[in-house]
Amino acid sequence: MILHNPVNRLLRRNISVGQILGYAVANFVGLAILLTALQFYRDTTKAENSADDSFISRDFLIVSKHVSDINTLKGRTSGFSAEDIADLSRQPWVEKVGEFTPSRFHVNGAVEFGGRGMSTHLFFESIPDEFFDVKPEGWGFNPADSSAIIPIVISRDYLALYNFGFAASRGMPQLSEQIVGSVPLQLSLSGNGRRVERTGEIVGFSSRLNTIAVPESFMQWANAEFGDDTEPTEVSRLIVQTNDPGNPAIEKYFNENGIEVSGEKLNQGRAAYFLSIVSAVVIVIGLVICALAFFILMLSISLLLQKNKDKIHDLLMLGYTPRQVGAYYYRMVAALNGSILVAALIVTLIASRLWTGVFAALGLTTTGCGVTILAGVVLMALVTCVNIIAIHRNVNRNFYNS
Amino acid sequence: MIEKITINNLLPEVFSDEKGEPRIVKSDVWLRHLTFEKPLSYLIFAESGTGKSSLCAFLYGNRRDYEGSILFDGHDVRAYDPDKWSQLRRMALAYLPQQLSLFPELSAIDNVLIKNRLTDYYSEADIRRMFEQLSIDNRADSLAGHLSIGQQQRVAIIRALAQPFDFLLLDEPVSHLDARNNEVVAQMITSHAESRHASIIATSVGNHLSIDSYKILRL
Repeated sequence: MILHNPVNRLLRRNISVGQILGYAVANFVGLAILLTALQFYRDTTKAENSADDSFISRDFLIVSKHVSDINTLKGRTSGFSAEDIADLSRQPWVEKVGEFTPSRFHVNGAVEFGGRGMSTHLFFESIPDEFFDVKPEGWGFNPADSSAIIPIVISRDYLALYNFGFAASRGMPQLSEQIVGSVPLQLSLSGNGRRVERTGEIVGFSSRLNTIAVPESFMQWANAEFGDDTEPTEVSRLIVQTNDPGNPAIEKYFNENGIEVSGEKLNQGRAAYFLSIVSAVVIVIGLVICALAFFILMLSISLLLQKNKDKIHDLLMLGYTPRQVGAYYYRMVAALNGSILVAALIVTLIASRLWTGVFAALGLTTTGCGVTILAGVVLMALVTCVNIIAIHRNVNRNFYNS
Repeated sequence: MIEKITINNLLPEVFSDEKGEPRIVKSDVWLRHLTFEKPLSYLIFAESGTGKSSLCAFLYGNRRDYEGSILFDGHDVRAYDPDKWSQLRRMALAYLPQQLSLFPELSAIDNVLIKNRLTDYYSEADIRRMFEQLSIDNRADSLAGHLSIGQQQRVAIIRALAQPFDFLLLDEPVSHLDARNNEVVAQMITSHAESRHASIIATSVGNHLSIDSYKILRL
């Protein structure tokens, strides 16, 4: 029916295949770049948010004051005063600041392991629970219950240090996280002339905290019970949650105030920042190409309707409505934009499949394509709408001779 | 759909400076109150340049550069939108433009079918019979652009008839036809108008359509 429709035969005239093809290729390239970059951006930010082990894990920084020779010589500790902490909290890139509370009592830990006993001095630190990346079961402490097990979280680095450094060189067995967690730790807490035996258990491993962490409620109780009140209460380490880890102001502030960041967190933050900028630049390039392609199509449509002006007018004179006359061009634009969208989405999905494999090898999860598909559909629907409105207006302009 | 067409003080805007000129003052149409009523037929005689094509264009909703008013059954047509005009052009108003406006890239029969398919008023066989009546059935499948002007005029007449109508506007319908073809065309037009109880408004500069008209007007 449509093939034999003489109206379509008339309106098909003067369609420039070259122009349409030029638009299709340009818009396809632009849209494919745009959607691929968008998907990449979403996948990388999702990886950042979900896995703290990732290369781009970024939002927590553990900071301490720089330990200088003078501190050591004068016997002064390097800690944060209340003023320092308040000043840090006021920085725009800071969301939350948590203090590390060190143990001010003696801790001795002993393990019975495969018939061999080991015993060592230990230290504990605690931070507010909201800063934990691992939320182990049974985290918390009730001072009234003397048989309660004290949950402990240690840095994953410590286990790695033991497994790959110590155990490997001394012929000791390597330990998995499960094995370590199942071994009870005999803790002897002393100070203030008092001494208590308790059982501890390693309930989790953290990538964020390079310390031996206990619940804050236990630390408060134990420091009050065994703590040495004469020791200074200055805070030596802080955990900072930031909403903008790539911000150059962070490094500047830390340098000016003699603050050190543990690990490579700041560099990772910078890498993440750089990655998001690169993604944004690529998205903008895709948008610019799409916009240029859009103008090519608008010009091409306007030229086509101009060339077919007399035919359009004559059809309207026969009693065709402007909508009937425009319908051929509406269908053409919709089919064109639909095909471009499908082709660009296929490219995006194939590309994302490629990097999903690489990400998975790095232990990173990626996100679904729903938002990207939606963005593509919305963008092309918008473009098609504008095209159709332009065609409708142009056809209507031909209705009257004067 | 339209019972009568009334024109009130109608004048093309291009003539607005010539209101006192003898040809406007003597005109039976311009600046007059005039009603075209179904199913009567009207012949409008005009000299070249007196605005007969303008009159047809005004009545067909193709141009709006006039003073005064045109009423279809009492409704001012200035208020009509393109969709309303499209509907009237399919169902109530048929028009043969002087310049014929055939699509040269379509065959003669397709030029009629492109109009007919809007209402499916006739079958293709009916239309071929009309080609036969006007002795152009042997050219029905030729491109309209390859026909002589007289043949094109007959194709355009068949196209104008391929719809329901109350008023048939014919702008110099037989300007390129000989006396014999004029008769045949006039017969066809009259019988089609009668079968629809429709009115014919035909203009002419010299060679006028051979129909019995109720009223002859001088433009």
